[in-house]
Amino acid sequence: MSTTQLVLATGITLMAPILWAALGELITEQSGTLNVGIEGVMILGAFTTALVYQRSGSPVLALLAAVGSGLLCAVMLGALYIRRGTDQIVTGIVFSSAAVGIAAVLSEKLLSADSVQVSSLPTLSIPLLSKLPWVGPVLFEQNALVFAALIAVPCVWYLMHRTWFGLHARAAGERPLVPETAGLSVRGIRYVGLALGCALTAVGGATLVLSVAGTFQPGVTNGRGFIALAVVVLARWNPYRAVLGALIFGLAQALQFQADSVPVLADVPTSILLMVPYVVAVVVVLLTHGSRYPGAAGAPYRPRAEQVGF
Amino acid sequence: MSTATNIPAATRFSLLRKPAVARAARLLLAALAALLLVSILLELLGADALTALQAIVEGALGAPFSLGQTVMIASILVLTGIAAAVPFTARLFNVGAEGQLYAGAIAATAVGFQFPHLPSAVHVPLLLAAGIAGGALWAAIPGLMKAYMNANEVIVSLMLTFIATLLAEYATTGIWPSGLATNTDPLPGNALLPTVSASTDITLGAPLAVVAVLLTWLLMNRGTLGFQIRATGFNAHASELNGLPVKRIQVLAFTIGGAAAGLAGAILVAGIQDSLIAGGAAGFGFLGIAVALVARLSATWMIPSAFLFAVLQVGSNSLQVKAGISPSMGAVIVGVFVIALLALGAIRLGTDGAK
Repeated sequence: MSTTQLVLATGITLMAPILWAALGELITEQSGTLNVGIEGVMILGAFTTALVYQRSGSPVLALLAAVGSGLLCAVMLGALYIRRGTDQIVTGIVFSSAAVGIAAVLSEKLLSADSVQVSSLPTLSIPLLSKLPWVGPVLFEQNALVFAALIAVPCVWYLMHRTWFGLHARAAGERPLVPETAGLSVRGIRYVGLALGCALTAVGGATLVLSVAGTFQPGVTNGRGFIALAVVVLARWNPYRAVLGALIFGLAQALQFQADSVPVLADVPTSILLMVPYVVAVVVVLLTHGSRYPGAAGAPYRPRAEQVGF
Repeated sequence: MSTATNIPAATRFSLLRKPAVARAARLLLAALAALLLVSILLELLGADALTALQAIVEGALGAPFSLGQTVMIASILVLTGIAAAVPFTARLFNVGAEGQLYAGAIAATAVGFQFPHLPSAVHVPLLLAAGIAGGALWAAIPGLMKAYMNANEVIVSLMLTFIATLLAEYATTGIWPSGLATNTDPLPGNALLPTVSASTDITLGAPLAVVAVLLTWLLMNRGTLGFQIRATGFNAHASELNGLPVKRIQVLAFTIGGAAAGLAGAILVAGIQDSLIAGGAAGFGFLGIAVALVARLSATWMIPSAFLFAVLQVGSNSLQVKAGISPSMGAVIVGVFVIALLALGAIRLGTDGAK
């Protein structure tokens, strides 16, 4: 493969964890909750994957366990964000740093150092398409979780725009009084949105371990969850555009891995290359400053029925 | 349980009806709940909870040297607490104090190495000023982007933290390499903050943090700008209609916060670690958020709050030896405590409680 192909292929592989997290956050935000705890959900998903994979050797089991950890996070975060109505930004930040801490503590205790290595998922080649010249090896020789992330994109769009749940979730995110007037539980809808979001984010963490890092280290997510927050803004809550956003960050991260083979980048220090995705995120937020968050995202909802004392 | 209409059942007891008492009761309840959760967690991890908690307290307060270290870390946390609290008061989420701390630390290091022959009386103030300027500039970026372009300050300040952390890493390897990958050579002696108490290694940084608290208190409670910052926090739109320069106030709130974090960076470099260390801030910026919340954004309460978290932070370092638990447990204890406080409504920000 040529260098360009390598950078692109690596970029697409690195796109997948961010894309999973961004899709999850998109559902959560559209249903009216701003989950800044996404970084914590992601790292716990990554840790759970490494743990279960190490103990069972089955990537499928590891993935399921990651989904479970995501749902567990959703229960905890939902109790705070939705039930108790705590400030979502502060709660999310504190949750994230606590989760990074607990993942570090647990990994030291439960993952034996010499066997932390998780063998990466096998690369799947799509028959025929992977034989295409140039684009074949870039696009169609990836692992299953990368393909699954891309398949999840239209599914999330369909869920949010063509189903009963999506309609009411977006209403709960824009104007929660509307679903309540229709006799629905805003908090219930938001719980489901948060649970779906955390589950997908945890899959992102699993993808990170199974297809990108191949191992778990404390701090393996390295702000990818927070980057997903920026991707959602860039995508203006559209899953298809989220692919583009996640790909930008995947490519920005790919540069550091392929720097040796790109003549221009060979002399740039590693720390500077590592900065690229974060600089890109700042620029992205700056360029998309007009994006409007869902009307009620970030504000806890207290049902009117409760307020008037029913 | 967050609005006046929803009085918790406990307030049937008349004493608990006093807001101050009720708040203290919630604080105590949250502390107990956190203690219980942490103990369970420690036992699950196979450590004796009592031994571990004892190790934390002894590790932080047991010897003059460790007490001195706790005081110095508390000074840093007071400043990162201010860095969170001032913008929070204007309802701006500065979650990037860690990055502003590194920006200040890098600027201070630059001054430290640039003028090796200046007398201490000139060098130290210059170094502190550089730290303050570095932090203020780094914080001005999200401040300006938030105020004038309505960019999300949470994402921007977080991303700038990652960038500044990597800049510090680059500074130790690329700008001032020492042969060691993670830190620079020690700063020249006349750039270091003078020691206040030799037996405990407490340097000028500690009194400086107290001065910063006093200044912040004056600014927030006696100054026009403080009033404007609070007004903007209560209702930015109404403030704007009343002729307050809201955008400028927002930028200033961020900059003041960043200046405090930058000073923390200068103190860390020239008063505690004596060199720039990559990763040397070890979460002090994020701890500042917890410090600010527990102090309910009040400058004076920042000191006891910072001391509490400094005990946890310094004490956690002895967990590895005494209880076989990673020092990262400190971050978990802090997280559990703050989340318990949030859940019980003991700390509350403007938008808290359902609308």
